Amino acid sequence: MNPRRHVALSLLVLALAWSTAVLAADATRYGAGVDLEKATPLTDLLSHPERYDGKAVRVDGVITAVCKKRGCWIQVSDPDTGKGIRIKVEDGVIVFPMESMGHRASAQGTFEIVHLSPEQMKAMAEHRAEEHKGEHGTEKEACQAEPVANTVLLIRGTGAVIY
Amino acid sequence: MRWRRLIIAVHRDVGYLVAGLTVMYAVSGVAVNHVADWNPNYIIETVEHQVGDIAEGSTSGMTSSVLERLGIRDEPTSAIRMGPGELRIFFEGRTLKVTLPGGRVLDETVRRRPVLFELNFLHLNHGKGSWTAVADVYALALLTLALTGIFIIPGRKGLGGRGRWLLLAGVLLPVVYLLVAT
Repeated sequence: MNPRRHVALSLLVLALAWSTAVLAADATRYGAGVDLEKATPLTDLLSHPERYDGKAVRVDGVITAVCKKRGCWIQVSDPDTGKGIRIKVEDGVIVFPMESMGHRASAQGTFEIVHLSPEQMKAMAEHRAEEHKGEHGTEKEACQAEPVANTVLLIRGTGAVIY
Repeated sequence: MRWRRLIIAVHRDVGYLVAGLTVMYAVSGVAVNHVADWNPNYIIETVEHQVGDIAEGSTSGMTSSVLERLGIRDEPTSAIRMGPGELRIFFEGRTLKVTLPGGRVLDETVRRRPVLFELNFLHLNHGKGSWTAVADVYALALLTLALTGIFIIPGRKGLGGRGRWLLLAGVLLPVVYLLVAT
């Protein structure tokens, strides 16, 4: 066989094998993945946050929102109650794809109760308004930032597995 | 001079080697530099529908009602009641946010920007792994291009003349910016 054709065929076979492996994978690991064996129920975490402040936790649920521009957070929600928590990861270190919306996920990290200053609350309200821009129909409505609570619960994520 | 010939040869060959990567990084660089103004990775479109009031029931029953009224036959990935006022139905690359009651539906579709998504993926090294090594080698290649480029031309157009001033301007630009901005 012509050596060039041989190389081309080999590359084609490799590409096919790689794409098959990717398609066959039923779970994708992000960052350090998940190694805690037991998940903390989201309802428990959200009802008694003080018990978990500063502790490593794993949560299981469905991804109901993803950071649209940078993929720097996901919202993992309890499929039964819809209540969820944001998993915030370091920008660029882990990047969650928008296509993960609606998929089951396990995520792990340090749970935090974050107390916001009035300036931070204002900034967060504006950021949320920007994120939801267009959802309320007009630019004017989108610019009207809704107030946010002075305490935010989140997980500083170190890894996740998305199914 | 022999050393200048060598510098020109290195500059030429490394330049050919990394021309494609440089175009890729430059295009992606402009795209992600303006992330505050647009989404460089995805095209997100939202369309509004009205499906009327949906009778209270199980999540799957309510989901079926919404999909039937919208004429959607695809199987959703999942569906969740986000609270008493919202049902969220997920498909691959599509989300329906249904306001309850009232039946207002925000139909959001997400598509990757052709080519740009892949360029940004490489530029921002989302894949990590072996691409980190490629990016490191590329950085060294750029360094080589910069250093050899300085010495390619001798005389008045090189370091002996205007090249010196252009080089100085290039070095001073970030210094002045840092002095002003920080």
